[in-house]
Amino acid sequence: MKPFDYTRTARASEAVRLVAARPGATFVAGGTELLNLVRDRALAPDLVVDINQVPLSGIELRDGTLHVGAMARMREVAEHPVVRSGFPVMSEALLASASPQIRNRASIGGNLMQRTRCWYYRDAGSPCNKREPGSGCPAITGQNRWHAIHGGSRHCIAVHPSDLAVALSALQATVVVLGPRGERSIPLKDFYLLPGTTPHKETALRHGELITGVTVPGSRSARHSRYLKLRDRAAFEFAVVSVAAALTMEGSEVSDVHLAFGGIAPRPWRSAEAEAALRGRPLTDSTIASAAQALVSGAQPREHNTFKVELVRRALADILTDLGGRR
Amino acid sequence: MSRIVGRPVPRVEGHAKVTGAAEFTADVHVPGALHGVMVLSTVARGRITRLETRQAERSAGVAAVMTHRNMPRLTVPEPHLLVKRFLPLQDTEIHHSGQPVALVLAETLEQAQHAATLVRVSYDTQPVRTVFEDAMDDAWIPPPEEEPGETPVPNELTRGDPEGALARADLRVDVTYTTPIHHHNPIEPSATTAVWRGRKVTVYDASQGVTAAQESIAQALDLPVGHVRVISRYLGGGFGCKTPWPHTVLTAAAAREVDRPVKLVLSRSDSYSLHGHRSQAHQRLRLGARRDGTLTAIDHVTTQQVSRTEDEFLPSASVPTRRLYACDNLSLAQRAVRLDLPTPAWMRSPEVMPAHGLECALDELAYAADMDPIELRLRNHTATDPETGEPFPSKHLKECYRRGATAFGWSERNPRPGSMRDGRIRIGWGMATAAHSAGGMPGAAARVTLSTEGTAQVQVATQDIGTGTYTVMSQMAAHVLGLPLDDVDFVLGDTNLPYASLSASSATVPAVGSAVNRTCTKARQKLIGLAVADPRSPLHDLPADGITAEEGTLYQTSRPERRDSIRAVLTRHGRPLDVATEAPEESGEQYSTGAVFAEVRVDPLLGQVRVTRMLGAFDPGRVLNRRTIRSQVIGGFIWAVGFTLTEHTLLDTRYGRFVNRNLSGYLIPVNADIPDIQALFIDQPDPTSQALGARGFGETPMCGMTAAIANAVHHATGRRIRDLPLTQDKLIASAS
Repeated sequence: MKPFDYTRTARASEAVRLVAARPGATFVAGGTELLNLVRDRALAPDLVVDINQVPLSGIELRDGTLHVGAMARMREVAEHPVVRSGFPVMSEALLASASPQIRNRASIGGNLMQRTRCWYYRDAGSPCNKREPGSGCPAITGQNRWHAIHGGSRHCIAVHPSDLAVALSALQATVVVLGPRGERSIPLKDFYLLPGTTPHKETALRHGELITGVTVPGSRSARHSRYLKLRDRAAFEFAVVSVAAALTMEGSEVSDVHLAFGGIAPRPWRSAEAEAALRGRPLTDSTIASAAQALVSGAQPREHNTFKVELVRRALADILTDLGGRR
Repeated sequence: MSRIVGRPVPRVEGHAKVTGAAEFTADVHVPGALHGVMVLSTVARGRITRLETRQAERSAGVAAVMTHRNMPRLTVPEPHLLVKRFLPLQDTEIHHSGQPVALVLAETLEQAQHAATLVRVSYDTQPVRTVFEDAMDDAWIPPPEEEPGETPVPNELTRGDPEGALARADLRVDVTYTTPIHHHNPIEPSATTAVWRGRKVTVYDASQGVTAAQESIAQALDLPVGHVRVISRYLGGGFGCKTPWPHTVLTAAAAREVDRPVKLVLSRSDSYSLHGHRSQAHQRLRLGARRDGTLTAIDHVTTQQVSRTEDEFLPSASVPTRRLYACDNLSLAQRAVRLDLPTPAWMRSPEVMPAHGLECALDELAYAADMDPIELRLRNHTATDPETGEPFPSKHLKECYRRGATAFGWSERNPRPGSMRDGRIRIGWGMATAAHSAGGMPGAAARVTLSTEGTAQVQVATQDIGTGTYTVMSQMAAHVLGLPLDDVDFVLGDTNLPYASLSASSATVPAVGSAVNRTCTKARQKLIGLAVADPRSPLHDLPADGITAEEGTLYQTSRPERRDSIRAVLTRHGRPLDVATEAPEESGEQYSTGAVFAEVRVDPLLGQVRVTRMLGAFDPGRVLNRRTIRSQVIGGFIWAVGFTLTEHTLLDTRYGRFVNRNLSGYLIPVNADIPDIQALFIDQPDPTSQALGARGFGETPMCGMTAAIANAVHHATGRRIRDLPLTQDKLIASAS
C-alpha cells in the first residue's frame, strides 16, 4: 500500500481542518471499510485522520427526533431501546448487516460512506470508472448479477451496499455534516448521487466535510417499520435485494407509507409512484401489485440480474403483507 | 478394544493452536527476510511487450524486482510434482489472467505492496477462448495420467452393452447437470519462506506435501533432493491447493538470486489464480432401469475445464459411477476442454462433481420408478467391486441406509413433492449415497524412538492439514506401543523425517496410519524381546507372544499380575530403542461409503433455501477418534452446502479473469447457514486395513450431501434445478 501519514484528534473541527487542507486526506473511524479499500487499491490516501476520539457517539430522542452521532457503533444503535421501539427498521437493517465483530467496530458515519461491493471496483486488475475515471465499466456487459436495475448510467451500474442507508431513506433522515465553513444538513434523499457521467462522485459531501450525525424524525410509520433483506447466504452478506418500509394504516386503508430499496440502484432507491399507488388505498393484493409494478416500471435489468425485477416485487409484496397485518 | 483408539481425544495440538503458540507458515519470522509481492497479469493470453520496473526498483525499501529478465532459468518439474506445466517469470508469454509477471522484494511487506503498484506492464494480447459452453464441441478424452505409486485410471470405459440396454430399458433418465468454478479458500493463506545456507535451502511452506514440495524445488532449481528441506508444521486447511505450485519454487529461486531469505504470503486475491480451482463442469447422465428400479444401463459423460498448458489432468474422476452400484452395462467418458484460464486443481472431495450428477439422477429415477430413493439404492447395491469383480472386504452401506433413515425419521416422509409445508414454507427431505475413494497413493515410512524414560517419538514426513493427523497418529502409536497417550510425541511436517506423500485423496490413514502401525508393532515386539531376554525383568523367559503392552506396562496376558513397566525395561536397556520401516510403493486403494440425509426449508415466494437438518450414517471402517472423524463430517457437509447453494467463482469471459476474488464476493457458508449436524458411524474394522481396521474417510461426507440437498429442494418444490448453485434467481424462476 502507498505510504500515508496518520494523525488523530478528539476535535471534529480539527479533523475537518486537517482533511480539508490536503486533497489526498481522508477520515478513518472504525476502519473496517477504509483498510480494505486501501488494500484493494481502490483508495490511496496520503493522510489518514483518526476520529475515533471525537465525542460524537450519542444516541438520543429529542422532541420526537432521533439524533445519532456519527461515531456511534452499529451495534450500539441496533440495540438501543429507543431505536428498537421507535425506529425498528433501523435496528433490523443494522442487525442484518455485516458480522457481530464488524458491528462492534464500524461507525454510523462510516456505514453511510461505504463504497460499492462491485467486484470490478474492488479488483485493481479490472477497469472501473469509479476507481479510475474513464477506464470503462466492465459490469454493464460483464458479470452484473449484483448490479443496478434502476439509476445506473452507461458509466456505472454499481449498487450502494449500506442497509442502514436504505432504512434511513425510508425514514426520511437527514445527514448532518461539518465542513470548513461550518455545519449543514443534507436530506438523505440528496446525499447519494446517481453515477451519471461522474460515477467516482458518490455523495454530496465536499472534500473535508465530516458526517457528525444523523437525525431521524419519529412518527407512527417509523414505529411501524420493517427491513427485509434477501441475499445468497443467511448472514454476513450484502443484499441482493432489500426493502425498508414504514407504514401507517387507518383501518384497512394505507394513510402513510414510505419505501426504500437496496441492492437495485447506485443509491437507496425511492419510488414515489409505488408509494402513491398505496397511499389512501386499501392494502389489497391488487394495490400491492400496482405498487410493485410502479416500482419496477422503467427498470433496466442487465444480462445476469433480470431476476431482481421479479424478486424486488415479491420482496415488496411480502413486507407490505407482513406490515399491513395481512398475514 | 482400546482405551485410546476410538476415543474422542481432543486435538493434541489444540492448546497450541488456540493460544497462538502454534507457528503457522506465514508466522515464521526469519531475521533479514525480504517480503515478496507478486505483480499479476491483467490479460489472459499474449506477450509482455514492455515491463517497466525502474520506478518500483527505486521505491523505498525495494531490494529487487524479479522478472523474466533477471530470474534464473528454471526446469519445469515433472507433472506429478507440478500439475501446472510452466513456470512464470521465465519468458514473456502470458497463459492466463493473474499469471505472475514480476515479484517485488522489499524490506517490509507494505513497501513491497506499494512498489508492486509501480510496475508498469504492456501486453500484446491475443484473442481468448474462455467460454466453457462454446468449447464443448471440441471436448476430447485425454489419455490416462500416469503417476508414480498410483494406478492409472482410464478416462473412457465400457462394460457390457450400455446403448442396447438403454434402448431396451423400461425406464430412462437423460439429464444434464452443470457446476461452476470453485476456489479452495482455506483460512490459512499459502505462504513460503526460503532460507539458503550455501548450496542448501530450507523452505518453510504452507504445504500439504512436504516431500512433493521438496522434489519440485530440487527439480526446478537443479539441486540434489537432499539439499532441500521443506517444513510445514501446522496448516489451516489446504483442500488440494497446497500441493506444489510455482510460487514456492519462485520464492526459493528468488532468495538464491538476491542472497537473502525471502518470504512470500499470497493474498486472498492472488490465490484465485495461483493455485488452482475446481473446474467448471458439465455432465450428462443416461440411466436405464427395469420397472422395479434395477439399473440396466449407465452412461455418464463428464466434461471439465483444463488450461492450454497442461495435459492429461482431470481432477474429478467418475469413481462413483464405476464402483458404487451394480450395473452390467456401463459407459463412461471423462472429457476435457481447453480454455485460456488458470490450471485447475484437485479440490476437496474431487469425486463430488460426478457424485452429484449420479445421485441426483438416481433421485430422478426413483421418481420415474415411483420408488423410495433408499429402496432404489438398495435394489442396486453391490457387495462386489464392479471394477474388479472381487467382494468389497468390508462394506456396511446397507446398515448405513437403515440407521440413517431411522435416525432421520425418513419413514415419515411424504414422497409427493411440495406436500410437506409449514405455512408458505415448503419442506423437503432428500437423501443420497455418500462415497469417495481413499488412498491409492504412495505409502509412507516411519521411525519410532523409545527413550530410556519410556516415552516414544514417532516421526513421519506427513502433514496435519487440519484433519487431526497429530492426534490420531499419536493415538494409534500409543495404542500399538502400549503407552499412555501423553507419552507419545508424533512429529511431522519436515522432509528430514521418514518419507510420506501428500495429505490428499483421504490417504493419510491408509498410508501414514499403516506406517505407524507397522513400525510401532515392530518396536513393541523389540521391546517385549528386551523384557523377556532380561533376567532382571519379571517377564524374563516368558514367550513373547504371550505378553501384552498397555498403558505403559508389559504384562503376561494370561496372568496380568506378572508385569514390568515399559520405562523400567528401557531404563535397564540403557539406550533408546530405534525402529524404522521403509515406505511401500502404494498405500492401497479403499472405498468408504455412507448414507446422507438433508432437510431444507424453501420459501418459494422469495427463493430462499435454508438447510435445517443434515445427517449422515457412515462406514469408515474402525473409528480412530470420534471427535476428529465427526469434524470431517461437519467439514464435508459445510462444503456441500457451499457447493449446492452458495459458492461460485464468477468469470469475466472477455478478460478470462475471475472477478469475485475475495471472501466478500465468493460466498462460503457462514454459521447461520449451517444447522446442527448429526453423524453416525457403523465402526466395524476393515480386515484388509493395515491401520487398525480404519479406512481413509475424509472426502466421503461431502460426496452425496450435495445431491441430498438438491434432492431435498426438489422434494420441497417439485422442480429440478440442474445448474448449481441453487440461488434465489433460479428458485424464483422455477417456482410454480
